[in-house]
Amino acid sequence: MKKYKIIILAFGTLVLFLTAEPQENLTAKQIVDRSFKATKLAGSEILSTMTIIDDKGRERVRKIASVTKLYDNGETEKRLIRFLSPPDVKGTGLLTFDYEKRDDDMWLFMPALRKTRRIVSTEKAKNFMGSEFTYADMTPPILDDFSYELLGEEDVNETSCWRIEMIPVNEDVADENGFSKRVTFIAQQDFVIRRAVYYDLDGELHKELSVEEVKEVDPENHKYRPMHMLMVNKQEGRKSILIVDEIQFNPDVKDEFFTTRYLERY
Amino acid sequence: MSGSAAKIVRFRWLVIFGFLAVALIFGSQIPRSEIESDMKAMLPPDIESRINTDKIDELFGGTEMLMVIVKTEDVLSPETLVRIEDISKQMKRIRGVDKVLSLFELKNIKGEEGAMIVEPAVGRIPKTEEQRETLRKEITENDVVYGSVVSKDFSLTAIIALLKTDVSDTVIVEEIRQLILANQGEEEVVIGGLPFARVQVARSIRVDLRRLLPLGLLIMFLFLFVCFKQLRGVVLPFAVVIMSILFSMGLIPLLGWKIHVISVLLPIMLIAIANDYGIHLIAKYQELNYEGNPYSKKELAMDIFNHLTKPVLLTGLTTMAGILCLLGHVVTPARQISVLAASGILFALAASLFFIPAVVSMLPKAKPALHSRNSKRPILERMLRLFGKIVTSKPKEIIAFAVISALVVSIGIFFVIVDTDPNKYYPKDHPVPYAARLINDNLGGAQNVSVVFQGDIKDPRIMNKIDNMEHELQEMPEVGNTTSIARVVRQMSRALNDKDEEGYDRIPDTRNAVAQYFELYSMSGDPDDFEKMVDFPYEHALLTARLNTASTKKMDHVIDRLKEKTKNDQDVRLVGGFGSILSELAHKVVNGQFLSLGLAIFVVGILLMILFRSVTAGLISAIPLAISITTLFGLMGIFRIELNVATAMLSSIMIGVGVDYTIHFLWRFREERQSGLDSKEAVIKTLTTTGRGIVFNALSVIFGFIALLTSSFMPVRFFGFLVVVSITSCLIGALILIPSLCIVLKPKFLEPREIRV
Repeated sequence: MKKYKIIILAFGTLVLFLTAEPQENLTAKQIVDRSFKATKLAGSEILSTMTIIDDKGRERVRKIASVTKLYDNGETEKRLIRFLSPPDVKGTGLLTFDYEKRDDDMWLFMPALRKTRRIVSTEKAKNFMGSEFTYADMTPPILDDFSYELLGEEDVNETSCWRIEMIPVNEDVADENGFSKRVTFIAQQDFVIRRAVYYDLDGELHKELSVEEVKEVDPENHKYRPMHMLMVNKQEGRKSILIVDEIQFNPDVKDEFFTTRYLERY
Repeated sequence: MSGSAAKIVRFRWLVIFGFLAVALIFGSQIPRSEIESDMKAMLPPDIESRINTDKIDELFGGTEMLMVIVKTEDVLSPETLVRIEDISKQMKRIRGVDKVLSLFELKNIKGEEGAMIVEPAVGRIPKTEEQRETLRKEITENDVVYGSVVSKDFSLTAIIALLKTDVSDTVIVEEIRQLILANQGEEEVVIGGLPFARVQVARSIRVDLRRLLPLGLLIMFLFLFVCFKQLRGVVLPFAVVIMSILFSMGLIPLLGWKIHVISVLLPIMLIAIANDYGIHLIAKYQELNYEGNPYSKKELAMDIFNHLTKPVLLTGLTTMAGILCLLGHVVTPARQISVLAASGILFALAASLFFIPAVVSMLPKAKPALHSRNSKRPILERMLRLFGKIVTSKPKEIIAFAVISALVVSIGIFFVIVDTDPNKYYPKDHPVPYAARLINDNLGGAQNVSVVFQGDIKDPRIMNKIDNMEHELQEMPEVGNTTSIARVVRQMSRALNDKDEEGYDRIPDTRNAVAQYFELYSMSGDPDDFEKMVDFPYEHALLTARLNTASTKKMDHVIDRLKEKTKNDQDVRLVGGFGSILSELAHKVVNGQFLSLGLAIFVVGILLMILFRSVTAGLISAIPLAISITTLFGLMGIFRIELNVATAMLSSIMIGVGVDYTIHFLWRFREERQSGLDSKEAVIKTLTTTGRGIVFNALSVIFGFIALLTSSFMPVRFFGFLVVVSITSCLIGALILIPSLCIVLKPKFLEPREIRV
């Protein structure tokens, strides 16, 4: 079933490439949709480094290992995150089932207490690991929650991009996502975001995301991942950098990774 | 001397334009002055509590907040909750608002059936009575909001806007006001918080300056007219007052200072004091300009200068000395007022001695005015004569009576309260103290005091120490709500462990466990959630206790205990916070009070000793001052008038101004004794001649300060009341007590010279 789908998808992409023309006619919404799909990996194993820098330039560095896998036709992503350093949090793990249509399931394991706890949270736009990145940055949003406008084309680091404005359709959505407007620069060659500018709820410039080094992780399906992401909080002067040190596309990640039993096996 | 007088007349145009030009140039600077409504600026930056509080701001960021307080029967009623949610949401969209804390924004983190649940304190607005009660129970158990964001009886709730750093007070307060107007309902809604208080204070300062100044001037105008019944008698002292106000107010921006709350006293002080010297010159002018006098207008001008230079200089000097003793205060605005008022008086002194004669020498001679004042004379003269009779017949009894009544009133001194709370600026029902009272009584407290810990904050040893100190603080009745990182850890321990588990509601035993708690929190929290409790590298932690009292004395108690507890603790870096600033301000006010008062008595005493070339002179003149001071503080205690930044300035000013009357009396009395009168005759003669001038002088001061009674600020009003009382007591001292002392003690320095050999 899955393979079949991939083949169709691959074929579709091929058709798209062959015809080439339709790209010109994509609507802003379609571009954003394609953009989120362009980074959705069927499965992966990642080693990454998160550096959080405060307004005085002090750093906090976390090394993390994670595995991800798509389930339910891509509607659910399961993620296991394990801290490798610093030593005091080494082994801390977080298992997330990220559902498209309902609140996530999360379990946390704390090795110092040898304890796993389920976390129930209705929060979505919350920051991730105390960084400037939010969960909303990491996961695809509900497309219909926003209105889109293609503002034009612009080069970002010599890559030609579409400049697209995203505005939440109502205040609840704005509250949930934490921004009143987002201007995204999406590369025409691979649909991966190269730059994004966030405006806070009172309309002021809030954060700026820059993406460097985009790698095609799954060449077969044309899936990409940015290797270097920088988020700057323009209001508070804080920065966060997420660097992917190693990434392995692997659609066959073992299912047992995504169990609380495995979470506790440390 | 007469040479100078001639020069004044010769160069009168130069003198007149010189003074006018200086006044106008300085006056033109006044529009540049800025208003300082921040309480913190009352203390110089190098004072411990300010250094510490600035350090806290540096480590943990500023904590400016505005509160919208909603008061109703039950804040959980659906209509009220809808309104709170609306206000809360719209508040987030106001430019300058960084974050909003309200029932809808703050979290409820709890443990339930093996899971940790993170949800807004109010997630859904209850539809049924049963849901409402469930929600109420949940909130009661949520110590993030219970007793701080919502009152324990659910009649009040606060929607708090944490402000960005670069936001203007006036703009943001107006935005919040509009927000409230746009969401009106049955509930009573008020604004609270320091930015709001500052806006009110700044506005009141402007209102005061606009109201007090014209009122004071009007009163002075009428007073002068009643005294002199002659246009120049009104206009000339009046012109001196206006010029000296322009001069000293213009100095404020020129010296780089700002207008503080108590700066509104400055122009009023000048209205009351700066005319004194001019009054004497005009009185002398009228005295010399009798019917059929032989003098030309220039001679009159020179005569008044020559006659009065010395006494005017002397009284001016003592007044300036008294006021300059306010430099004994550490409190910034008191020091500034000291310099400004002394400069203004110096200017007035110079203008009275030069400008008035210069103008008089130009104007055509006035019609003799004294006959018209004759109708007034009998009342005052009869009164003064009566004083003379009483004094001469029962001097000892008077002294005894004065001492005894001073002693009786002095009991009040033990009840004098020191208070520097800015909420006391206003009457009780004013929005600023009203909001503060609501917060104090129901929402955890309006002021705060903080302790900074340093070291490895994740170390359970330090974490437990913070936790213990927080518990001790919570046990003090003056402490309302407290926040600390230890409290967060505890809260998480309750969410991560079930009630019967070992780790429930306690700091974990290992450093790693603490670190993992934090990591867990940061999984879903904002990066700045802990900003006010622990710094980025986890090297400093802040324990903040909100104080539910407006009394500086009670705050002092908490701060003293905190300092005592943390004195030799290596893990505690400092104690600070706005409450500690208020407390230190109170200490500084008391110390400054003693120092400036002591200095004023000493300096004025020395001046008098030099003036009369006698130690006894200094001591004798100190007696009525001492009695006036005792009465002043006694009455403050009896009337529950607090010693604050404004009223603490009173005694030095009183000494500087009040001693003038004694000087005038002694000066004339000695003259009369030397001209051959015995002491009783001399007393009566002095009282009926110079006594009139003294009464006019004192009345002009009293009337000058009366305008203060209409100030927006309570401390300024009390200042006005007390100045009236204390100048009156100085007047009585000079007219009754000093004469009695002269008769009983017969001090040598006043005796005729022949006998002294």
